[in-house]
Amino acid sequence: MLSESRGGRAFQYLFVLVVAISLNFFLPRMMPGNPLALLAGVDPGLMSPEGRAELMAEAGLDRSLPEQYISYWGDLLQGDFGYSYRQKEPIVDLILSRLPYTLFLAGASLVIAALVGIAAGAYSAWKRASMRDVGLLWSMITINSLPSFWLGMLLIAIVSVRFGWLPSFGAETPAAGYEGLERIGDIGKHAILPVLTLTVLTIPAVYLTTRYTMLSVLGSDFIRTARAKGAGESRVLFAHALRNSLAPVVTILALRLGFAFGGTVIIETVYSYPGIGRLMFEAVGGRDFPVMQAGFLMITIAVLLMNLLADFLYPFLDPRTKGQ
Amino acid sequence: MKKFYLLIALMVGLLVLAACQPEEVQVEVTRVVTETVTESVEVTRVVEGEVVTEEIEVTRIVEVEAPVPEEPMEPTSLRMAILDTENSLNPYTYRSGYPGWNMLLLQYDTLLQLDTDGVPQPWLASEMDVSDDGMTITFTLRDDVTWHDGEPFTAEDVKFTIEYYLEFEHGRWTRNSRPVESVETDGDYTVIFNMASATPGFELQLAETPMLPQHVWEGVDDPDNHVFEENIGTGPYKLVETVLDQFYVMEVNEDYFAGKPQRDELVFVQFADTAGSLAALRTNAVDMIVTRATPEQINILSGVEGIDVAQGPEFTTDMINYDVERAPFNNKTVRQAMNLAINRQDLVDTVYLGAASPGSPGWIHPASPMFNDAIETTYDPDAAIALLEEAGITDSDGDGIRELDGSPISFEFLAVGTNALRLRLAELASEMLGEIGIEAVVTSVETSTWEEAVWPGFDVSQGRNYEMSMWGWSSPVQANPLRMWQLLHSSPDFGFLNLTGFANERADELSEALTTEIDPAAQAEILGELQEITADELPFILLLYPDGAYAYWSGVYDGWAFMNGQGVFHKLSFLPEEARP
Repeated sequence: MLSESRGGRAFQYLFVLVVAISLNFFLPRMMPGNPLALLAGVDPGLMSPEGRAELMAEAGLDRSLPEQYISYWGDLLQGDFGYSYRQKEPIVDLILSRLPYTLFLAGASLVIAALVGIAAGAYSAWKRASMRDVGLLWSMITINSLPSFWLGMLLIAIVSVRFGWLPSFGAETPAAGYEGLERIGDIGKHAILPVLTLTVLTIPAVYLTTRYTMLSVLGSDFIRTARAKGAGESRVLFAHALRNSLAPVVTILALRLGFAFGGTVIIETVYSYPGIGRLMFEAVGGRDFPVMQAGFLMITIAVLLMNLLADFLYPFLDPRTKGQ
Repeated sequence: MKKFYLLIALMVGLLVLAACQPEEVQVEVTRVVTETVTESVEVTRVVEGEVVTEEIEVTRIVEVEAPVPEEPMEPTSLRMAILDTENSLNPYTYRSGYPGWNMLLLQYDTLLQLDTDGVPQPWLASEMDVSDDGMTITFTLRDDVTWHDGEPFTAEDVKFTIEYYLEFEHGRWTRNSRPVESVETDGDYTVIFNMASATPGFELQLAETPMLPQHVWEGVDDPDNHVFEENIGTGPYKLVETVLDQFYVMEVNEDYFAGKPQRDELVFVQFADTAGSLAALRTNAVDMIVTRATPEQINILSGVEGIDVAQGPEFTTDMINYDVERAPFNNKTVRQAMNLAINRQDLVDTVYLGAASPGSPGWIHPASPMFNDAIETTYDPDAAIALLEEAGITDSDGDGIRELDGSPISFEFLAVGTNALRLRLAELASEMLGEIGIEAVVTSVETSTWEEAVWPGFDVSQGRNYEMSMWGWSSPVQANPLRMWQLLHSSPDFGFLNLTGFANERADELSEALTTEIDPAAQAEILGELQEITADELPFILLLYPDGAYAYWSGVYDGWAFMNGQGVFHKLSFLPEEARP
C-alpha cells in the first residue's frame, strides 16, 4: 500500500517534469521576437542576408520545430545545456557563477525571516486581541503590501545616498583587490541591504501563517489538557502549541526556497546584484532560448525537490499525516 | 538536521561579521620615532680645586615627531557606470553600438580617428592619399606603433584585417570593408587599397573599423565564439579583468603612440538599471555615468555639489515610422497633415524639458554641415485640417475621427514600454493627431516584440508587421549624412534601413548617385534635394534629436571632450590635450 502510493507519487513528479521541460522548449519559441539580435551581437541590420542565415543555422534555428525539439531532448539527456546567445558562455558556467549569490541572499533572508516571523506570529497568537497583537498584525499587513522595488529604492536613498553607510550596488567592490576575510567582509557588506529588503518582505507571510495556525491550535483540546496537567506557560507555548503549528510554515518556507532558485528579479535589479533573476530576465528579454531553457529547468527541479522535501518533513512535524 | 543548523549559524554569523566591519576613521598620522642625537654640551666641574669649563660630546636617545613618508603615487583610477554586458569586448563579441563600440576602441585603434568636430584625421595612418578617380587609396602608416604584446604594427596587419573582415562576416566591419577589392603592401608602412568602386564617406567607415593583430588572429576561424587569452590591440588601454555582468578593468598602455593617457586604470561597473547607477554616482561610488542622463536627472544631478553635466547636441533620433504601403499612410496628404499636426517644440519642452532639438522633416540634423537650411519645420494644425478637408478626408459620422475611403483613420501606435521618454512622446503625439481627427492608439510592447514587428529578421525584404511605431536610429546613421540612401532607397539591396516601405523614383535615382559621388559639392547638392523630397514625401516623421547629457565628478576627472553629435565617452577624452587631433 505504502510503496504503491510512493510509486504513484514518483510517477506524478516525473510527469510534471516532462511537461515542464516541454513547456520550457515551446513557450520561448511561441513568443514574438527573434534571438537574431543576440546571435549577431551588434548591428544585425548591417549584415548580409546570407550572414544572418548562417548565424541562425549555426544555432540550429533554421530547422523545423519538431527537429529542434528532438535534439533539445537529446542534448538535455546528455547534460549538454549549450551556450548562451548573449554571453557566448557555457550556460552551466553562467548559472553556477550566479547561483551562490542568489542562494546566499535567499538563504540568509529566509532564515532570518523564519526566525523573526515565527517568533512574532507565535507571540501575536499568544497575546491574541491585545494591543500588541493588533499592532503587529497591522504593521505586517502594511509591510506585506509594500512594493519590493519601492522598499529597495527607499533603503538605498536613506542608507546609501543620505548617510553613506552601505554600498548600494553589486556583490562586492569592483576591482578592489580584496582577499580572504577582507573580501568576505566586503561581500557581506554588499549583501546587507538586499538581504534586509528580502527579509522584510518575507516576514509577513511567515508571521501570518504562524499566527493563524497557532490560533487554531491554541483553541484545541490538547492545549487545555496540557494546561490542566499543570504544564508551565512557556512549555505549553513552545512544546505544545508552536511545535504543532509549524507544518504549514515549513511548507511555505520550502516552497520559497524552491522558488529562490529563480532569484528575485526586482531585488537583484534594484541592487544590481549578479544573481539568477537578472540572468533569466535578460535572457527572456533577448530571447536567449538556451539560457531560458536551462534556467527554467533548474527552477522546476528546485521547486519539485522542495515540494518533495516538504512532503517528507510533514510526518515528522505532524504524525497524523504519516502513511497518508 | 545538525548540518542545517550549522549552515544557519554560519550565515547569520557572516551577516553579523559583515555588519561589524569597522568604519574607516580619518586620523591624522604622525609618527613618533627615537633618534640618536649627538650634541656638544658645556660642562663645568671642579678639578683639583679649580673650576674648569670644557666642552664634551654626549650621545643620547630622544623622541621626535617625524613626518609620515610619502606613499608612492597611487595609480589614478576612474570608475564608470555602464548598463549592459559587452562580453569579452573584442571586435566580434562586444554587444552594443554605444557604449560597447567606444569601449572596444579604447583597446583598439583605427587608421583614421574622428576629431571633436567629427571629422576623420590621421591616426594609425599618418597620411591618406586618394587617387582622382577614388579607386586607389594609399596609406602611409606610423612606424612607432606597437601592439600590447610588444609586436610592431605594420602594413601586413592592415592587409590581414581587411581580408579577415571580408572573410568572416561582422555587421559593421564587413560592410565597411566591402568597398575594398584588394589590399597590397609596399614595405612595412605603406598599404594600398584597390577599391571596387569610388566610395563616398569611406574615411568615416575607416574611423569606425578597428585594426587586428595578424599574429594573434591568424588561424582563428570562428571569431564569434573563439576564446582569446587576452585582447591585443594598439589602443590606449588594455583589458585586464572581466567579471561577466559585474565589471571590466582596463589598464593604461604606458607606451601609447599618441601620448600617455590621463588615467592609469578604468573600471566599468555594470548596473541593472539607471536608478542604480544614479545612486552610485551620487554616493561617488562611480565617477561618471556613460549612459545619457534623462532630462529629469539633468537638473537633479547638476544640483549636486561636485557633479557636472556635459551637454550638447547629438545625432540620435526619436521618430515616427509607419508602413507607407498600407492605408492610411499610403496617402501623402494624410502623412503631410500628420507632420503639420505635430508640435515638435512642445515635445522638446514637455518630454525633454528643453534638452533636445526639434526634428527636421528632411532627416539631416541642423548642426550637420550637410543640412539644407531651406527645410522648415512647421507646426500648423489648422493647415493640417484644411489639407485633409480639401482632399475630402472628413469626419462624416461625427465621432471625431475622419474617414478615408469609408473607413475611419484609426490605427495602432507601437512604443516600447521600458523606454519612458519614447512612450511619453508617443502619447503626446497621439493627442496631437487626435486634434486633427486621426486616432493613434498607443500600445506598449517589450523590445523584442517591437523590433520584430517593425524590422522582422532585421531584413527589410521580409516586409513589416506594424501600422505606426516609435523608432530611433543610433548616432552613426545620422553622423554620416552620406548614408541617407540606406534609409530611402526602395530596393532592399540599397535601402537596407528603409523600414517604412518608402518608394520614390527620384529618391532612388539620387540615392544611387550618392553611393558613388565623391565630389563634396555634388554630394551636398544631392543631399539637399534628398532632404527636400523627404520633407515633402515624409517616409517617416522625425520628431526630435535628444541632447547628450553626461554626468561626472569634475574633481575626479575633468578631461571630457564633447565630440560633435557623439557625446563625451570616446578615446579622445582620455588622452592628453596635445594628443587629441
